[in-house]
Amino acid sequence: MSMPETAGRPSFIVMQIGKRHFALPADTVVELAPPVRLHRFPHTSPLLAGVIVRRGRIVPVYDAATVLVGSSAFTQRFYLIARRRTGKSAEFGAIPVNGECELASGEVLAPPADHPAYVTGTLAFNDESIDVLDFSALASLNAPVAGEPRRAEIPS
Amino acid sequence: MSKASESVAKPRRARHPERVILFFVSNQMFAIAAEAVQEIRSTDSLAGAAVEIESPEFPKVRHTIERGRHTYYVINGCVHFELRVTRPTLVLILRQFRAVVLVDRIDRMAEISGVYALPPAFEGDERRWYRGLAYLDDTVIPVVDPAGFLSGAEFQQLDRAAKAAAGHRELEGAVQA
Repeated sequence: MSMPETAGRPSFIVMQIGKRHFALPADTVVELAPPVRLHRFPHTSPLLAGVIVRRGRIVPVYDAATVLVGSSAFTQRFYLIARRRTGKSAEFGAIPVNGECELASGEVLAPPADHPAYVTGTLAFNDESIDVLDFSALASLNAPVAGEPRRAEIPS
Repeated sequence: MSKASESVAKPRRARHPERVILFFVSNQMFAIAAEAVQEIRSTDSLAGAAVEIESPEFPKVRHTIERGRHTYYVINGCVHFELRVTRPTLVLILRQFRAVVLVDRIDRMAEISGVYALPPAFEGDERRWYRGLAYLDDTVIPVVDPAGFLSGAEFQQLDRAAKAAAGHRELEGAVQA
């Protein structure tokens, strides 16, 4: 994925999840990784699908599609690896994406009134208005909630 | 795209090689430090020694066994890891804790190059279950924390339940006599 200069305008990586497009600020994106093996093991963090190993690092994989489009996206073609804040430090996390990612730039407009916390604005992309995501806020939905169904079981 | 990899430090905690036992619970492979396991036995060998215990707060503990002067708690690995319950064939008797863990089977012993920290993204009970992750033969395997099976407070609670159960059995024996 090449990164042309965009003359001071904010840049975004536009990714496809399910049939929808979403944008992440380009400066939070680390890498578009090939569909390497997803390693699963029992856990109770609701948004995590498992981990991938990338460049000697173990990277948690967020099944963001369950939140963003309402179904899992494990027919993905790539993993988009981005940084998220964890307190004072940062951690890499991977989002399965099922289409090519593109670089886009432009002004971010205010999000709709009833937007979830992980949507920070909207961006005009082709003829679409797409949500700009805050990966840290999206990842924060991962904390287990008492009384919610848990999924330590490994899906077959 | 920024060179974010430079701003997020790669974990550099010193890792030390160690011997682990690879075992399966409900078709999921786990590792446990070999030095944390005192003995591996078949479940059949415990059949006559296991005593039932009523502990509704701990569905993973249904039996105790006496070893020396100590009561050991038999923990169902499937229930502990919230997996589909299978029929265990072996038990791991832990070295530093009064716990016996029911497992499906042992795969093998292996040497791992070290234990990777569990990524902070994992925020649930898995933080108690695992010491971290191992990468062996292109597979990521959770490394079980022996201290995660039962906490000190849980041991105390179970000790009270075991004592009450023993008293109940004594009373029943006296009535029958």
